[in-house]
Amino acid sequence: MQPEKFYYDNKIVRNFGIATIVWGIIGMTVGLLVAMQLFKPGMNMGNQYTTFGRIRPLHTNAVIFAFVGNAIFMGVYYSLQRLLKARMFSDALSKIHFWGWQLIIVSAVITLPLGFTTSHEYAELEWPIDIAITLIWVVFGINMFGTIIKRRERHLYVAIWFYIATFVTIAVLHIVNSFELPISGLKSYYLYAGVQDALVQWWYGHNAVAFFLTTPYLGMMYYFLPKMANRPVYSYKLSILHFWALIFIYIWAGPHHLLYTTLPSWAQSLGIVFSIMLIAPSWGGMINGLLTLRGAWDKVRDDVVLKFMVVGLTAYGMATFEGPMLSLKQVNAIGHFTDWIVAHVHVGALGWNGFLTFAILYWLIPRIYRTQLYSLKLASFHFWIGTLGILFYAVPMYWAGFTQGLMLKEFTPEGILKYPTFLETTLRIIPMHVMRAVGGGLYLVGVIVMAYNLARTMAIGKLVAQEPAEAMPLEKVFVAHDEGDNFWHRVLERKPIQLMVLSLLVILIGSIIELIPTITISSNVPTIASVKPYTPLELQGRDIYIREGCVNCHSQTVRPFRSETERYGEYSKAGEFVYDHPFLWGSKRTGPDLQREGGKYSNAWHYNHMLDPRLMSPGSIMPNYDWLINQKLDTTTTASKINAMRTLGVPYAAGYDKLANTELDKQAKGIADNLAKDKIKVQSDREIVALIAYLQRLGTDIKVTKTANN
Amino acid sequence: MKKLLTAFVLITTLGTAPVMAANDTLMPVDTMNYIGYGAIMLMLVLFVVTMLVLLRTFKVLTRLLMGAEAKNAPAEVEAEVVPAKPKNSLVNKLLSLRPMAEEESLLTEHDFDGIKELNNPTPAWFMGLFYTTIVFAVGYLLVYHVFGIGQLQDQEYQTEMTIANKEKEAFLAKSANRVDENTVTLSKDGAVLQSGATVFKTHCAACHGEKGQGVVGPNLTDEYWLHGGKINDVFKTIKYGVQAKGMPNWEKQLTPKQIADVASYIKSIYGTKPAGAKEPQGDIYKDDAAAKTASI
Repeated sequence: MQPEKFYYDNKIVRNFGIATIVWGIIGMTVGLLVAMQLFKPGMNMGNQYTTFGRIRPLHTNAVIFAFVGNAIFMGVYYSLQRLLKARMFSDALSKIHFWGWQLIIVSAVITLPLGFTTSHEYAELEWPIDIAITLIWVVFGINMFGTIIKRRERHLYVAIWFYIATFVTIAVLHIVNSFELPISGLKSYYLYAGVQDALVQWWYGHNAVAFFLTTPYLGMMYYFLPKMANRPVYSYKLSILHFWALIFIYIWAGPHHLLYTTLPSWAQSLGIVFSIMLIAPSWGGMINGLLTLRGAWDKVRDDVVLKFMVVGLTAYGMATFEGPMLSLKQVNAIGHFTDWIVAHVHVGALGWNGFLTFAILYWLIPRIYRTQLYSLKLASFHFWIGTLGILFYAVPMYWAGFTQGLMLKEFTPEGILKYPTFLETTLRIIPMHVMRAVGGGLYLVGVIVMAYNLARTMAIGKLVAQEPAEAMPLEKVFVAHDEGDNFWHRVLERKPIQLMVLSLLVILIGSIIELIPTITISSNVPTIASVKPYTPLELQGRDIYIREGCVNCHSQTVRPFRSETERYGEYSKAGEFVYDHPFLWGSKRTGPDLQREGGKYSNAWHYNHMLDPRLMSPGSIMPNYDWLINQKLDTTTTASKINAMRTLGVPYAAGYDKLANTELDKQAKGIADNLAKDKIKVQSDREIVALIAYLQRLGTDIKVTKTANN
Repeated sequence: MKKLLTAFVLITTLGTAPVMAANDTLMPVDTMNYIGYGAIMLMLVLFVVTMLVLLRTFKVLTRLLMGAEAKNAPAEVEAEVVPAKPKNSLVNKLLSLRPMAEEESLLTEHDFDGIKELNNPTPAWFMGLFYTTIVFAVGYLLVYHVFGIGQLQDQEYQTEMTIANKEKEAFLAKSANRVDENTVTLSKDGAVLQSGATVFKTHCAACHGEKGQGVVGPNLTDEYWLHGGKINDVFKTIKYGVQAKGMPNWEKQLTPKQIADVASYIKSIYGTKPAGAKEPQGDIYKDDAAAKTASI
């Protein structure tokens, strides 16, 4: 048989590489901007389109799906072709994939600041974009499997197992977490409500971390690290064990984001124990990486690329140990909702994803341009400033997290909260927020230096768009060479479709066991008779709350702790959220919880507070929401919103959609009149009125007040 | 080493000072923040220095350990010819690592784009860790969901509240702090009014104005009262709030003594006629104390 000649497509790799750098800088710059807003709210530039609640999702989406996403495709397109000894299946699909993905990102950059959001974290993009993501993901899948089918290498290397698991799991996660009922071109309601919606979202959210930020990167680590160090992979057995254990166990861990909420206890406990069992499988990847460097540690001293890899792997190890620890409910009680979590995810994101991406870029760009890196000094500078940036980011945030977590729980001997005003704790950690922005800034400087360095490198060299290669075609029938070829896993490595199906089954087990009972068995969400659907005005107000991204800073779930029931009121019950499409429990308390906000303050208080929070809470870092006072509430959508909610099972009477706006006007007038009594003149058709209506309703359905009893 | 430890403890204490500091500390919040600031900087610097020292140590160690190997790479080949079993270091044994010299024999057949894989076993300590976590998981589920030894969140909450209430009762029984709307008395003591003024400034001024002239909430300096002007009524309004009017309840945020103090303070600002006073709301109420103050 003759070896076949073919060409690797380097152009697509280069394109994804450039996109990685460009979106990385954009996403991190937005991150720096939101970080600064956390100590200087005026950094929103007095503008609703650049205010924290709207652009924090832009930051997360940009760095996850644009920066890391493009880096994944760069790494996969480079390594897949070489590991399979084949060109990508179709150049056209590669192009569609590339441009489609960039278009999706651009649409996110446009829609998120405009306030189009589903409010599900890391899945904020509205339904038409969700469909586009699905299509492009399928294009990627076809292109990948097409390449696998026409491969010239019989066995699939461990990197490819990870790519396959990434592909199937992200597809499942994205589709299940995008079950939305559209009510207009860019607005939809989630099918699930309350507790169920929360579980689906965090099953998705957690596994987005697992299968978008972890598995593809492990795959890339398995290809690039042995290449960079020129060392054999430490243990084949370990890679088999940790691959299957990782994908099987990871999928169960989502509920650890919902500890002490109204999620059924059995689901919470499953989340905890599977998180603990995740330590070893996660570390398997780190160990296999670090031990691959065995005998090459002297190279680490000189080679900046390997330095990035080592710090990246170490950051991965730290984050995947800390994660399980944070899942223990006793630790979670303090850490959850605080900056501790932000520190934790950034160790993973900046260290693991960031540093691996940089290492791969520094290694790969000179290779496809057939040249040397423009400046090793600059790359070394990038490494050190990046490492410092991570430290300056993480240490103050851990500090802030502990400080605030402990302060919020402290009582005086008289039995009242030592810091009853949430704001006191916020003010105490502002210096740490300043430091964090400095750390983020350092990291960003490193990335900009890298961009310059790589641009110069590209300028010196010339892209080898079509890289020639040759390999023997596969024989029709496979004949085992030795005993090893009959090992069960070796057999599986020859059968890509079976491998995909098996990994799909493995990730479905945990998903089904956790999701199905929570969604179908009613005893998991006991109903409460006094909980009624929102009025039309409150529903509109709720959508403004969603649009402004209030959920990014305010949770809506009171945990059963003395420190929370004393601060906020009765702890949350599952039945209270049955009409919440979507749930708005949040994941971070930059400000206080709002689940029992209704009736706590007067309408006038809320009005003044939204106009300028510092009028009512001196020192507050919440931005002004003055545009809500000028903007007219769009009531043309009321009927379709009521109808959509009815379709989703909210018991609005038939024909209520036609009365809804009359009711809405009546309630709005009532609030405007009430405000007028406090000398606040506002027209009843303004957005602020709807938002006040919603805030005053929050948590009141089962609220027991002392005055009412007296 | 001891010095380092002391420094670490010192820095940690300084850094956590803002959290641990009692309310009555003389240090203003700003100062505490700056101390925290400085502590973080110090910690970071210390961290970086430690990392650099560690790196240096590794470097030296590597050179010491690998000195011979690195210098005479061919020596390794020679060593292989010798049938003697290569020695394995303690560290390697602990990590279940095979000696480097055995590596050749561990290579698997396959080669992926030049990448080879070794057939090393999964390290024993790694498997130990994995099995331990599995045992922990099973144990956890048994403890919380089968044997019912561990408390789930609702029970946990009950326990926490019971303990807290007992402690609170015990404390209040011993202190003069125990006032309620029935036992509160009007005080004109300077210290009490001072403390009341502080509470008023932090918690009440946003709605009732710096001078009690009324903003969102009603004017507190006139003789009109919406919910009664007796000291007991004022205490009660502050403690339980008036939900319909947007007056929050302060029971959970202020101690009974603080409520009593601020109630006395509010009574003391009667008749001060501040600028921009809000129009009267409610009914006229004049008690002896207020009447007396007014007549002066």
